[in-house]
Amino acid sequence: MELLNLSVLSGPAILFPENPFYQLLLLILITLGGVLITVSVHLIPVGGAPAAMAQATGVGTGTTQLAAGAGLTGLLVAVSVYVLSGSGLICVLLGGIGSTIMISIVMLISNIGYIYGVGVPPASGKASRDPITKDRQDTYVSKGTEGHGIPTAAFISGAAGGIIGGIGGSLIFVVLLKASGLSGDDAAAILPISVILSIALFFVNAVIASYNIGGTIEGFYDPKFRKVSKAAAVSAVITLICGILCLYTMIQFGGFGLMAG
Amino acid sequence: MDPLIGMGVLALVGAVAAIAGYTEDLESVVGSQSNPNSQVQLAPQMKYPHRLFNKAISGEPLSNGLAAVVGAVISVSLEFYADLSIITVIVIGSMAAMIIHMILAATSFFGRIASQSRFKQPLYMDVFKTNLPVIAAYAFMTTACILIICYLMAAYLDIQIPIPLLALILGITVGSIGSSVGDIQYGAECLYQNLEFGSGVNAAYSGNIVRKAASGIRSGIDNSWFSSKFGGPTTGIAFAAVLFMTSWITVLFNPAWGGAVGWCGLIAGVLFIAATAAANRYLEKSARRNFGPYRKDEKTEGAE
Repeated sequence: MELLNLSVLSGPAILFPENPFYQLLLLILITLGGVLITVSVHLIPVGGAPAAMAQATGVGTGTTQLAAGAGLTGLLVAVSVYVLSGSGLICVLLGGIGSTIMISIVMLISNIGYIYGVGVPPASGKASRDPITKDRQDTYVSKGTEGHGIPTAAFISGAAGGIIGGIGGSLIFVVLLKASGLSGDDAAAILPISVILSIALFFVNAVIASYNIGGTIEGFYDPKFRKVSKAAAVSAVITLICGILCLYTMIQFGGFGLMAG
Repeated sequence: MDPLIGMGVLALVGAVAAIAGYTEDLESVVGSQSNPNSQVQLAPQMKYPHRLFNKAISGEPLSNGLAAVVGAVISVSLEFYADLSIITVIVIGSMAAMIIHMILAATSFFGRIASQSRFKQPLYMDVFKTNLPVIAAYAFMTTACILIICYLMAAYLDIQIPIPLLALILGITVGSIGSSVGDIQYGAECLYQNLEFGSGVNAAYSGNIVRKAASGIRSGIDNSWFSSKFGGPTTGIAFAAVLFMTSWITVLFNPAWGGAVGWCGLIAGVLFIAATAAANRYLEKSARRNFGPYRKDEKTEGAE
């Protein structure tokens, strides 16, 4: 079950650095991580500046900023789990959980702000009924606004986005660290570089998604979500190019374990 | 490490994080930095000149990330080369970050207000002189708290990330939370106290911000007094909860004790997320029950 663990003695040949297709596999995994981040940003309900005035449904900040906050929290969890356990799989999964915890707390306390600070019930402006709870939405939208707060469907969508984005960011981090082929103290020395590169790839993909969304999105039931395939394609191309550069950097730093050995 | 010590450190981290979130939100409110800045920027164009401090250095996450990194780099360098105690280097690092933040706030204020001269917005030097020290104090507090958290995490929680990088991550996170949680009350309530409570801000009223305080003309300091009662504390609670709940999984269910313990942490995380979703649903239902709909049900439903 160990993801790409170089110490496993059995398993498919492609999991070994000696295999010529090993770097290709790493590149594909990085690209997958980038695409996951782009998709996740589409799922998180963000209302941008209008949401801060209770004029739009979602969390009241920019897409990139919220996604970056959630993704970096997940990355922090992923790094500490990786340092403690050395297992790639559990690190990636707990990275996703860390992101989701951050985004869930932000959405819950934002709703407390909307309900007790502003006095508006959560309501969606894009759907007349909540796709999950089937509650009526349009009558709860106050005049001159496009909804406010985070209704249940948007909350579930945001949690799903958090877990997908966290997994994507942590996957990039683990793959880049493994690409160096180092372990022990050497891996600890190179860890900050893989963290910086994964933060960079996170921002690149969050900005791609942000352009596609254009300010506000409520989640999977928003009509804008149908444009996700375009952003995923763009993200795949750009993450592939950035991934080659990142892999080159890590291999240069780490010597790929072959030259060092 | 002993899990009891880990929990104690986490409690301390949570307490410091609450202060960091609180001061971060109030700093952005005094300078009207975040998303509601669009309204402060719009007001003179709608013929409502004001006496608010108007700075938008960048989005809150990036400006806080910058301040935290500047503070952390200077602290770590001083610790290495000057052999000073950690408390001293944290104070010196935070002061350096505060000075850079003040320079950015000052240039941003003059640039933004000067660009609105065609809309007859005056540039008040007394607003600049009275509000800038408040912004500086809050920026100092936020950076110092972030640095304290970084040093605690690096020393006790076995995080192998170097302190400046950790400060960048935490700075971006606190800005992200302050921007999304704390600004709701500032943007939707504090700036629009002239509108009836219990409704979102009608787009037709954009720019019509409140310009009078309880006594005299309103400035950023009056806004921070208003936000310190709700927006600031919720931001603090949110940041503390995020740091506590994400570190709690790895401290109590330390994956170093074996793979199965790591999976237990995963299950605990999923349970916590389910609990927040349930709490959100309860809040939504109670708000709808207590507030009621804005209009009668006679309208036909739109297309799904």
